[in-house]
Amino acid sequence: MGFTITEKILARAAGLPSVRAGDDVKAKPDFVLSYDFPGYTDVVFKQMKEDFGIEKVPEPERFGIFIDHMVPAATPQEEELHIGTRKWCAENDVALFERKGIGHQVSAEVGFATPGAFVVHFDGHVSQLGTFGTLAIGIRRNILEAFVRERVSLRVPQTTRVDFTGALGRGVMARDVFHHIVRILGPASCRFQVLELGGPGLASLSTEGLQTVTGLAMFTGAVTAIVNPDPERLAYALPRARKKLEPVSSDPDAVFAARHTIDLSALTPVVVVPPSPANTRDLGEFEGLEVQAGYLGSCASGRLEDLRAAAKVLAGRQVKPGFALHIVPTSQQIMADAAREGLIETLVAAGAFVSSPSCDYCFGRIATMTAKQRAVSTGTLNVKGRMGSPDSEIYLCNAATVAASAIEGRIADPRRYL
Amino acid sequence: MLPKNLRGRVAFIFEEVDFDVDQIIGVKNIKIQDVAELAKVAMQAYDPDFAKKVKPGDILVGNVNFGYGHPHYPPMRAMRHLGIAGLIAESFSPGYWRGEVSMGFPQVPCPGILKLVERWDEVEVDWASETVRNLAKGTSLPFEPIAQADRDMIAAGGLVPYLKSQPAA
Repeated sequence: MGFTITEKILARAAGLPSVRAGDDVKAKPDFVLSYDFPGYTDVVFKQMKEDFGIEKVPEPERFGIFIDHMVPAATPQEEELHIGTRKWCAENDVALFERKGIGHQVSAEVGFATPGAFVVHFDGHVSQLGTFGTLAIGIRRNILEAFVRERVSLRVPQTTRVDFTGALGRGVMARDVFHHIVRILGPASCRFQVLELGGPGLASLSTEGLQTVTGLAMFTGAVTAIVNPDPERLAYALPRARKKLEPVSSDPDAVFAARHTIDLSALTPVVVVPPSPANTRDLGEFEGLEVQAGYLGSCASGRLEDLRAAAKVLAGRQVKPGFALHIVPTSQQIMADAAREGLIETLVAAGAFVSSPSCDYCFGRIATMTAKQRAVSTGTLNVKGRMGSPDSEIYLCNAATVAASAIEGRIADPRRYL
Repeated sequence: MLPKNLRGRVAFIFEEVDFDVDQIIGVKNIKIQDVAELAKVAMQAYDPDFAKKVKPGDILVGNVNFGYGHPHYPPMRAMRHLGIAGLIAESFSPGYWRGEVSMGFPQVPCPGILKLVERWDEVEVDWASETVRNLAKGTSLPFEPIAQADRDMIAAGGLVPYLKSQPAA
């Protein structure tokens, strides 16, 4: 009986010859990541000293801190939080990535997405490092354990395996793949498990697209998602890797809690209607619904393929007057690449408001909506109040749909513009 | 070490699947820090007299995938302030589960709980036998064993005391 990629990674991290799903283990994370956020990092930094008497983390090279929320700061309190974070990183010799982009993307760019590594963060969207065969789990406040102890306590998760076949059609993107998974498997389908992706269709999905799919894993109930890394993902991740580790994959006879196959060629664009990420619907059902705002960005979307799709839709066209289209590339690297390709020029010419990378659009800290406003968005979430007033609404969709809807001022099928 | 057994009335049953706990206080109140203020706004959409009816030791019951969405901490802080001692659900969403267990809040997954209890029944959560008992009706159900670290964290009263009980190396 073989092992899953998750069991292999956790066995190594736990220092055991093998582990099985269901085992309670203490595993040493290869990397411990966090972005600064009130109630999380400030509290952890304080508890480290005051409750555990730890002045400095041992092995600082295992840690990475990101300043990506509240960027740029809008209040003195926010800047004070950032000052505290910079000071802690300097005192602890820990790498700080500030204003480089959304941390989950930057993590991959700077090599924390080491194939075969075990990574913890407090935020679950870190699951997107799974694209590169990295087991990255968001453990909320339990992140404290990783700052004050060498190992973290966890139960080895079971795995639900999804195999892809075929390739995506025109106007269908990775967002549609993920929300289709939630639709057919259900929002509780992978509770406490790992969502593992593989199959012959995997190679047809871009690395950026897989970052999208894995980054949203929590909405299937999964604790993370992971890809059996293929040559394309390894070619990206291995030269950047921060640690020398052997990439691993699931054995052909590994034990899965469930197995599903999805034919990518059968998918169509979808929309996830408020107020829950569980509400996947066909885009066609909601076409024509008036929308006043659009957001293209976030740790889930906002990468080059998203910007390219939007630029293709918007080239030579105009955003409807009065419609607020915010486009926020996920990282500085992506923004620079997009500028070099001429995408930024196309988007700006069409009337989009393009900003530097920040998490702040996704949770309504800026570009805040008021009651009765409605947005199309590639943000992570559509719960009440996520982008402003609890009486505003968010329709999640792919980047091309955001762009098409921005032209019409109502939810629109991008395939008419591609 | 086992957590202390819970014994109390079922103060409310959240029948909605994939229940988003932020609704307990309402999203517009999510930034309130003061727990007494939070307790005042809690449950207004479900039972405006909840605060008057609930007593210390009472328990909440939830449906499948309880805590789905983007759970914040204030709703359950408010509930604990009102005296709620624990929660039994058909099953939990992992993000919510982890967040509240790290607060030391006793919770157990118990498939079938919605059929086992009615509101205001007296129930007991017995950790040694991993059983939920309906004392009002004389019925019982096993609950699913939870991870050892989660059980220890609940027994210790939360993340910090749990970690202090763990060896440093």
